[in-house]
Amino acid sequence: MILRRQLNNLMISWKGARGFRRTMLDIVVRGSRNPMVVIGATIILVMVALAILAPVLPIADPTPPEVNPGEKLLPPSTRHWFGTDNIGQDVFSRVIWATRVSLTVASLAICFSLMIGVILGLTAGYFGGAVDYIIAGTIDLFWTFPAFLLALALAAALGASLTNVIIAISISFWAGFGRLMRGQALTVRERQFVEASRALGAKNSRIMFTHVLPNCIAPLIVWASIGVADAITIESSLSFLGAGTPATTPSWGNMLNLGMPFISEAWWVATFPGVVLLITVLGFNLLGDGLRDVLDPRMKGLRR
Amino acid sequence: MANLVSYIVRKLLLAIPIIILATFIVFLMLHLTPGDPALRLVPPRHTSQDVEDAREKYGLNESLPVQYASFLWRLLHGDMGTSVTTFTPVDIMVFNRLPRTLELMAIGLTISYSIGIPLGIFSALRQNSVADRGVMVFTLIAYAMPSFWLGIMLMLIFAVKLHWLPLGGTVGGFASIILPTITLGLGNSALTTRMMRSSMLEVLRMDYMTQLRSRGLPEREVIFKHGLKNAILPVITVIGLDIGWFVGGAVVVETIFSWPGIGKLLVDSIQNADFPVVQGCILILAMFVVLGNLLADILYAYVDPRVRLG
Repeated sequence: MILRRQLNNLMISWKGARGFRRTMLDIVVRGSRNPMVVIGATIILVMVALAILAPVLPIADPTPPEVNPGEKLLPPSTRHWFGTDNIGQDVFSRVIWATRVSLTVASLAICFSLMIGVILGLTAGYFGGAVDYIIAGTIDLFWTFPAFLLALALAAALGASLTNVIIAISISFWAGFGRLMRGQALTVRERQFVEASRALGAKNSRIMFTHVLPNCIAPLIVWASIGVADAITIESSLSFLGAGTPATTPSWGNMLNLGMPFISEAWWVATFPGVVLLITVLGFNLLGDGLRDVLDPRMKGLRR
Repeated sequence: MANLVSYIVRKLLLAIPIIILATFIVFLMLHLTPGDPALRLVPPRHTSQDVEDAREKYGLNESLPVQYASFLWRLLHGDMGTSVTTFTPVDIMVFNRLPRTLELMAIGLTISYSIGIPLGIFSALRQNSVADRGVMVFTLIAYAMPSFWLGIMLMLIFAVKLHWLPLGGTVGGFASIILPTITLGLGNSALTTRMMRSSMLEVLRMDYMTQLRSRGLPEREVIFKHGLKNAILPVITVIGLDIGWFVGGAVVVETIFSWPGIGKLLVDSIQNADFPVVQGCILILAMFVVLGNLLADILYAYVDPRVRLG
């Protein structure tokens, strides 16, 4: 409560501040009143902290150079919280390290999609005409094409590596941002302040990035949050199918893939990575859905 | 009726660029990987003569546009190449598997709608009640749950521990299809539920509902006869998106349950580096999505006349 009041005061004192900083503050203040946003953000913070701290946490080596045969497929115990897998590696430690891989891949992929989508969508919506016709057509094409199938095709062609997974997800995901940005740019460019700055002689690029873009921050954040959740799911599905993160790097998807053959004698190997994956995806979905409810009820149609 | 025909023609024309994009992606796949593309079109055990033959057959010495044109030309004649592991024509392999995938998706979609639509209506009629909150929590979890994990957990409970249902494959007849279709349908039912709920809530607030009630119509008739008719429309519009989701889901679910459909064929072929089959599977699955979207658009225009005029 006290924190909220401070944030409110801060917002009042920043009333003069414009653009990006103001919008961000507004999102934090209004978001903190929504339980979905709070729960989602808490989950994300915990997962990010675990991912960053993985090297210094007192956990076992996720990929020990030598494996003790006596440590194979041990059930969960105080020594191995989530048990051990078929070659004696500690599942808990691998789940934590996999968080690092999945979050990095998903957030980098979404960053690249965001950049491609924002630049193309903004250009299309702002300039209109023939430019818009071509770009909007391309956006629609990629939007209709199922993202998972495209990512699988690209990952299969490029080969299993972290970089390739990021490329595959970025290419299959940017259209959502492009669509969103184009729509926003189309409405914002008609507003009077855009006309005013054009009258004052501002360049197109300046108007696009300092006037149109900051007005689209809220929906972009919502879409990015939901996008990270979807990207995590795609990354782990690809890894599960053996076309994503290489088997030597721990990832939730390939841990499940490795654990599946041992499902009848060691349920823990495939169960725990899935639970952590589920919680993480849930966190990003809650944050995205909550922010959407708070920031803009009209965006309800953005995603079902 | 004339409107409907011109609408369908318009939608058909819009599907063409997507099909072209799909063929282009599939074509590019061959050239994306570093190394000689001809090596991906010959069996693992091959002679240098085989490589030269493949180069000749697929015109790999030509420029990319020429290669793409001849690729399209072969596709138009139903030639998708030959598998490098089984030496069977790819189109035969793919079409043999197609019925299995269709079966899985049809039952999966039925499950998804028979859970999602009633649950969405129920939830909307009791907005903000404990039951409604419960349904919303269910949809959040069901949506976040990765289908491969759900599949493994269902397998663990019903096949490994309880021995009620077979682990995978198709030998169990009807019993074999239960777990794969539930895995496929449950995640999507979360989306259908949310869609149905929000659309029903919107309709319940409309003036004509109040008007019908004030005329003394029984509540059941107001909601199910007049309300549902309008509320179900948005759910129909997203059938196309659902099919896209199911195509991705089928690949994963078929792999878990060793279901002999196109998805399993695709994953096996990726692992065996059987390039022509990978291309064929992706192309067919993409066509499938395009066709699904088209059918959904037509269905939507059929039930909602406003769409045809738009």
